[in-house]
Amino acid sequence: MGIQEQYRSEAAGLLSSGAVKLVIGFGEGSTVERRRPVFVRTPAETERLVLDGGCVANLSTYLLTEGLLSDGKSVAVFLKPDGIRSINILAAEAQLNPEQVVIFGFDIEEGQVRALEGRKASDFAPVIGVAKAAGLSAELQKEAELLDQISAAERFEYWKDQFSKCIKCYACRQVCPMCYCRRCIVDVNQPQWVNTSSHTLGNFEWNIVRAFHLAGRCVACGGCDRSCPVNIPLRLINHRMAKEVLDAFDYYAGECAEQKPVLATFRQDDPETFIL
Amino acid sequence: MSEPFEPKIVAFVCTYCTYAGADLAGTSRMKYASNVRIVRLPCTGRISPMFILKALQKGADAVLVSGCHPGDCHFAQGNYHARRRWTVFRALLSFTGIPEQRIRFSWISAAEGAKFTELINNLTEDIRKLGPFEQYHELQTVIETQATY
Repeated sequence: MGIQEQYRSEAAGLLSSGAVKLVIGFGEGSTVERRRPVFVRTPAETERLVLDGGCVANLSTYLLTEGLLSDGKSVAVFLKPDGIRSINILAAEAQLNPEQVVIFGFDIEEGQVRALEGRKASDFAPVIGVAKAAGLSAELQKEAELLDQISAAERFEYWKDQFSKCIKCYACRQVCPMCYCRRCIVDVNQPQWVNTSSHTLGNFEWNIVRAFHLAGRCVACGGCDRSCPVNIPLRLINHRMAKEVLDAFDYYAGECAEQKPVLATFRQDDPETFIL
Repeated sequence: MSEPFEPKIVAFVCTYCTYAGADLAGTSRMKYASNVRIVRLPCTGRISPMFILKALQKGADAVLVSGCHPGDCHFAQGNYHARRRWTVFRALLSFTGIPEQRIRFSWISAAEGAKFTELINNLTEDIRKLGPFEQYHELQTVIETQATY
């Protein structure tokens, strides 16, 4: 029995026993290779669940749907290691109770799906340990270093070109499990911190602010990058932030539910070479 | 003959240390460049990165953020939190092409009027050499002059 069938039958079992009220998984998408989220509430519907190399989205973002977890009932969700890290971060930030989340863990290696042992977020600590040991994406690091090498003025021009494309659709925010603020800083208008019309300056500010808010929280699931309709390389800026917190504070986001958010804690001997 | 360039510098300072330090500089009759506009806040922990972006948006050529030395915070740990935030924010600004020379951070205590004077004078000189932050301000000018926005 393949992993897809195994998870289907397990999901059906959980639903029929009432252990979970909802299963968030992947179903067929608009093209053959694409997958879209499906929300399964009855055992019969589990036939719609698909699990293959196309299941790349981080579905943890749906768990914060208003009122979903407030009745104390559990929800099952299909997650890759990055999504499991998201659960840990959300738990650490008191946005959900990890006990209410049943995880169907899987990983994709060269297009092949592999099951991960465990059902609770805490069961996956070894998997996350392996991911941490493997380090941040070397590919992204290479791209980011190329940008770091050019002058600040050139970098500014590069990002100006990129951000000038932004249409402020906020797809990056909507897809992101970390962007759960009821009132986002861009929607605050007294005072208006960020220009809301999509001119380059406002785009600059918006993207800087979002990257800053994701520092030490982003798990590099790539959701924002994939959802951006104008292909701004958001992965680069988020990677650069993840690298910074790793280098400066030895912080890898989402290791466990008890890990304190990086900017809500400090050490007395934090580096401060730049402060005069 | 054109006027020499006078940089606009915004300093976000905490009231317990750096502001008191600036006060000391004043009462001691020390002179420092008048290019700095001081904004007093309760603590460096209160200084949101949004302030820095706003200052740049409104035409600042450089921003200084300054507060109590580590261990001296009136609120015990505000500056430790601020320090982490600056580390990350500085890296982010640098990565998006906002030069590090234009965003400065310092610890200045209430007793360091001389350090404050020196820092402001040096910073003003540095930015005068660097010139106005045209690259950023241009973005604002475009908004103000083009009706299509």
